[in-house]
Order: sequence, then structure tokens, then C-alpha cells
Amino acid sequence: MSMREKNWFPILYMFITTLLLSAVVIAFGTITRQRVKDNERIAFERAVLEALPIDLSGRTSPSEIHITYRENITEPTKSTAGALGYRKNDSLIAYALPIDGPGFWAPIRGVIGIAADKQTITGISFYDQNETPGLGGEIVKSEFRDQFVGKRLADEGTSLEIRMVSVELDESSVHAITGATQTSTRLNKFLDKRLSAWRDAMKEIE
Amino acid sequence: MRSQPKMQNIVLDGLWGNNPIFRQILGICSALAVTNLVLNTMVMGIAVIFTTALSSLTVSALRRWTPRVIRMMIETLIIAFYVILFDQALKAYWPDMSRNLGPYVGLIITNCIIMGRAEAFANANPPGLSFIDGFFSGAGYACVLLVVSIVRELLGMGSILGIPMPFFSSALWDRWIIMVMPPGAFFTLAVICWIFRSVQAAKETQVPGGKK
Repeated sequence: MSMREKNWFPILYMFITTLLLSAVVIAFGTITRQRVKDNERIAFERAVLEALPIDLSGRTSPSEIHITYRENITEPTKSTAGALGYRKNDSLIAYALPIDGPGFWAPIRGVIGIAADKQTITGISFYDQNETPGLGGEIVKSEFRDQFVGKRLADEGTSLEIRMVSVELDESSVHAITGATQTSTRLNKFLDKRLSAWRDAMKEIE
Repeated sequence: MRSQPKMQNIVLDGLWGNNPIFRQILGICSALAVTNLVLNTMVMGIAVIFTTALSSLTVSALRRWTPRVIRMMIETLIIAFYVILFDQALKAYWPDMSRNLGPYVGLIITNCIIMGRAEAFANANPPGLSFIDGFFSGAGYACVLLVVSIVRELLGMGSILGIPMPFFSSALWDRWIIMVMPPGAFFTLAVICWIFRSVQAAKETQVPGGKK
């Protein structure tokens, strides 16, 4: 009776195959782990910079993003209520507030930039979203994001409103993406919640 | 001894005669999910070609030693192995695309095309031919998906690969948003299967001795 006909042969065969293939997968995973982590970090840093009044033209490679981030951005402190700071010559120019909440398909994560007056929006960006490509996914496009620049947070009611395209805008509102009602509604909700919470916290600090 | 299948037939079968999507109706799940933008579809197609080709090659290379009772477990293991490698590579070197495709790369493991080719072909044929068979079955899948995605992106967004197309991106064309939503995939795939199968049927009636 050859080895191949023994009862234990399939078990041994399965064991050895699994061992070999897993070893390769684990090795490859270990090699790329740091890279995957760095990618996530850079995506966040890029989002922070894009939300702030920083000219990134021509400096968009991962290493340039990282250097610009390190030179300009300070980690959140007690006095910023969870927001990152953008400083130049020791004076604070703007806050970058990380925002996240439920989207239509999966959580949306992003950053909103607010000027030192705590009222003017300097920009918004998203680094993690899985909305429908072509619809909700358009929130990452500049056509949508550029609307936020220069808007002012309202003192009463919704601090920043995303309105239907047919409704007129004021200084505290932007237009939604046609066809992406769910994404817009949900984004509006958690954006408002985060912004009001932050402003309340900032008032308390003062 | 059984005669070996001819190279030319393998290629044509994978791409047309026995196309996994519109002849065998396999791998429909991902065909519906990733076809709303042409770029996503291209990467998904490459992932499937990579996996079917290499897993068929490996299954075939091991076929003389693999005990029959556990062959399907071994096949699944091999398929999962290649898919995970591709997924990891995408995460590390093309993070944006990895985010776009979400869980669908991982789900290639359960794509019936790959297991189907391993069972139907690689188990009984030499590694070289199995590789070709896997490659062109994957390519057949990718081609149909590309057609679906071109139709969907063009009608739904007025663009192809993100580039605005004349007429479809102008005010004359009212974008069919539903085409990039899930229902659009069902409409498009059904129509494409219908057209391709009709062409095939017309061909077969022309050939003397072919099926009537």
C-alpha cells in the first residue's frame, strides 16, 4: 500500500498545503503592513491639509504631504476641543476638526477646516467613504467641496445646511448632490452635530 | 487516452462560446456590483484573470498528488491564497482603488467561475493549458463586465473612465442616474446576455450540422 492510499495522507496533505500557502500570505502581509498603515495616515494628513487654507499645488506626493503636515499642523489640545491646529509663526490661523458619521452605505470620515474666528469655513475634505460612485461618491469632488469655502456657521438653527439644488442659498448653506439624497441628509446631520458640539466645547473653554 | 483540447478552442471558448457570464451565467454577483464605473471594472477584471489563471495552474500542477476526497478544499485554499495576495497588494500599493472595490476583491474567492474552471478543466489537464484556460475564462468575464460598465457609466454619468463624452455629457442628455445604481446593473446585464445569446443562436443555425 503506497503512502497515498493511507487514511492519514489527506490530512497531512491538507496540513502541509495550508502551512505553505499561509506562510506566504503572512510573509507578504508583514512586508506590506507598514505601507498600508502609512497609506491610511497619509490619506488623513492629506484630508487635513485640503480642509485648510494651504496651497498644495505641486506638493501632492505622499512625502511632501507628510512634510507639509508636520511643519504646519499641531495635534489637538485641551484648548482646541479635539480639533487640530494650523499655526504659522506661533499664531493660530485655523482649526481642522475631524468629522465622522454614518453615510448611505458605510461610515464617512473627513475633516472640516474652520478659521480662527471659529465661524468661517476654510474647506472640507473626506478621506474615507464608500458612497455610490457617481452619486454620493461625488462628495469628494471639488465641485461639491469648494462650495463650503467662506461659508459662515449660523448662530441659530442648523450651523451649516445642505439644501436641495432648487432651494436658494444663504451664507450658511450649500447645495446637495442631485440624486444623492441619503448621503446629503446623513452628512448634513452629523456635520451639524459635530460642529455644534465643537462650538459648545469651545465656548466653555473660553 | 483522451485527446487534449486544442489551444485555439480553449481561447475561443473562454471568450465567447462558453463565456462564463452570458453562457454559463456564473460570477454574476460581482458582475452586478462593480460595473458602475469603467475603471473599477478594469481592476476587478484583472484581479479575476490573475486568480483564475494562477489557481488553475496550481490546481493542475498538484492534480496528481491531491487526494480526490479533499480536492475541493484544496482548490478553495489555492483560490483564497491568490485573492488575498491580490487584495493585500492593492491595499499597499493602490489604496484608493482598494477602497473603491471594498469587499468585492475578497469575494472573488466565492466567484464560481474560478472553482468551475478548476473542477471542469484544471483537474484533468496539464498546467500550461490550464493556465491558458483560466486566463481566457477570466478574460471572457472581464470583457463582458467592461461592456456592462461602459453602458452604465455612459448612460448614467455621461462619461467613460471619468472622461466626459460628447453628447452624453451635454445638456441634451438627461443622465439616467438609475444606471449607476444597483437596478441599472440588472437591466444592462440582462440586455447584454440577450443580445450575445441571440447572436450565438443565429450563428449556430447557419453552420450546417449545427444545432437548430
